[in-house]
Amino acid sequence: MREVLAVVFREYLIRRTSPTWLFFDLAVPLLYLLMFGVAFDKALGHGLRIGDAVVPYNAFFLSGVLSMSSFGSAMNQSYGFFVDRDNGIFYEFLTYPMTRGQFLFGKILFQCLMAVVQCFLTIAAGTLILHIEIRWELLLFVSAGMTVGTAGWFFFLAIVAFRIRRNDTFNTVINVAYFVLMFLSSMFYPLDQVPSWLRAIAWVNPLTWQTDALRFLTIGLGSFSSFVLQVLGFGAFLALSFWFAVRTLQKAV
Amino acid sequence: MQNVASLEMENGKEILRLMRTDHPKQALDFSLMSGAAIEVHDLVKTYQKRHHKPVKAVRGLSFTVRRGEIFGLLGPNGAGKTTTIKILTTLLAPTSGSARVFGQDVVADPLGVRKNICVVIQENAIELYLSVCNNLRTFGRFHGLTGRQIDGQIDRVSDLFGLREYLNEKGMDLSGGLKRRVQVAKTFMVEKPIVFLDEATTGMDAFNKRRTIDAIKEESRKGRTIVLTTHVLDEAEELCDSVAIMNHGRIIARGSVEDVKSMSLRLLYLTLSLAAVSDDLLRAIHIRNPIAVDIKDTTIEVTVREATEALDVLAAVRQTGLLRHFEITSASLEDVFLQLVDTKESAS
Repeated sequence: MREVLAVVFREYLIRRTSPTWLFFDLAVPLLYLLMFGVAFDKALGHGLRIGDAVVPYNAFFLSGVLSMSSFGSAMNQSYGFFVDRDNGIFYEFLTYPMTRGQFLFGKILFQCLMAVVQCFLTIAAGTLILHIEIRWELLLFVSAGMTVGTAGWFFFLAIVAFRIRRNDTFNTVINVAYFVLMFLSSMFYPLDQVPSWLRAIAWVNPLTWQTDALRFLTIGLGSFSSFVLQVLGFGAFLALSFWFAVRTLQKAV
Repeated sequence: MQNVASLEMENGKEILRLMRTDHPKQALDFSLMSGAAIEVHDLVKTYQKRHHKPVKAVRGLSFTVRRGEIFGLLGPNGAGKTTTIKILTTLLAPTSGSARVFGQDVVADPLGVRKNICVVIQENAIELYLSVCNNLRTFGRFHGLTGRQIDGQIDRVSDLFGLREYLNEKGMDLSGGLKRRVQVAKTFMVEKPIVFLDEATTGMDAFNKRRTIDAIKEESRKGRTIVLTTHVLDEAEELCDSVAIMNHGRIIARGSVEDVKSMSLRLLYLTLSLAAVSDDLLRAIHIRNPIAVDIKDTTIEVTVREATEALDVLAAVRQTGLLRHFEITSASLEDVFLQLVDTKESAS
C-alpha cells in the first residue's frame, strides 16, 4: 500500500502545480451539463419519451455527463504517461521498488478521487440549479460507479498510451476514439430511437454500459436486470483492460 | 592506494582476490556480506522489430561484480552498455542467459531486484513541474522513507551535491547539468546496496562533474556497490576498482584498471619541447621506429612501446642540442580503450 500511496502523493503534487488540469477535471463536465444540457432541455420542450416514461433531458443527460467526466479524467491521466516519458521520469519509475500493477493502481487511485469530487459537484449543480431528482440513497453506488468507470477507461487508454510513442498520434487516436465512443453510446440520446446499426454498435460500447448503469443509479431509468448485466460487462472490461495494461507496461521500454 | 583482500566464491571455489583501491570501504554493512553483488551469465539480448533485421545488442555476456566495488562498464556508443544496465535494472528482459542482482534473478524476481537498487538512467529523469525539494521528497517516498527520514536525507544530499540553494527551484528552470545532479543526488537519498549510474555525469560542467565524482566516492566508502557506464575514461580511471570494456555486445577486456591497462601494449608517451624542429632531428626520431610522431610547432609527441625505446629517442634528440624540456607518461585508460576497440574492430 505504501507504494500506491507514494504514487498518489506524487500525482497530488503534480496536479497542485497545474490549475489548468484541475479546472479541466472539475469544471468542464459541469459546464457541459449547464450549457449543452440546458439548451437541449429547452429545445426538446417536454423532455424525452423513453418507453412509457417522460424524462427531462437534463435528468437523462446527467449520467452522460458523469460518464464523460470518467472518460475525460482517464484520458488526461493516460496522457500523463507522455509527459512522464518526455521528462524521462517514466523509465525511472519502472526501476522503483514497486510492481507495475501498483504503479498503475496508484495513478488511477488519485484520478478516481478526482472523479468522485467531480461527481459530487455535477450532482450538486444538477439538483440545486437544474432541479434534477436524484436517488440520494444510492449516491455511494454512484461514486463507486464513477471510480470503476474512471479506472476502466484509464487502463484501456493506458494500453494505447504505452503502445503509441508519438504524442501527436496519441492525441489523434484518442480524440477520434472520444468522438466515436461518445456518439455511439447512450450518453446524449436514448438508443431505442436511433437506427438499428447505431444501436447495435452502442450496445457493445462500454461507455453505454457505464452511462446506463449510472442512469439507473441516479434517476432510476432502466431495469435492475439490465443494470446488473451492464455492471458485469463493465467489470469484465475493467479486468481485461487492467491485465492488458500491466502486460503492455512490462514491455513499454 | 591500499591492497584490500577479499575471500569470494567463483564457480563453486573459494578464491582470494586482491584489490587495489584508494578508498577502503568504511561502513561495511554491504561490503562485508558474502557473495557477488551482480552475476551475469551468458546474457543475450536481441531486439526484434517487425520488418527489420534482428539486432544483437548483447552477445553472451558473462561477468561478476564484487560487493562494495565501483565497477565501470565502458565501451563506444552501441557497445551494449545501456542494454546491459537496462536488463540488470529490470527495465528489459533478456533474450537468454541469466543475471542475478544481489542474489535475485532479474527475470524471476524483478521486484526483489528493484528493492535492492537505485538507478540513474541515461535519459534525464526529473519532475519538471516539481521543485528540487519535492523531486527528492517523492523519490524518498517511493523508496519507503518516512517524512522525518526524508527531511534528514534532503539535508544530507543537498549539502553533498551542492543543491541547497536550488531546493525551491522547479525542475523546468534548472540547467541540464543541474537536472542531472538532482537525478544523481536522488539515488543517494536511500541506502540501497547497489547503485547504477548510466552516464551519470553527462552534460555537467567541470565543476559539477568534480562535485558529483567526489560525492560518488564518498558514498562508495559506505560499502555500496556502484555500477557505472561512462564515455569519460578519466572518470572511470579515477573512480573504478574494476572495469569491463564492451564492444559489439561482448566484453573485450576485464579486470582492475591497472590489469586492463597492462593487457594492452605498454605504451609510453614522450613529449619533447624544442628550440626548433630540424630535419636531422626528425630523421633521428624516425630511425628508431616509434609508433607515432605528432608535431605541433616546436613540440613533438612520440609514442613508443618500451622504456628503452623512449630513452633511446631522448638520447638522440639531446644530441641535436635542441631539447629544452621533456616529459614521459604512460598510456591512459583512454589510450588502452581506443587501442583495444581498434584491435578488436580490425580482428572482426
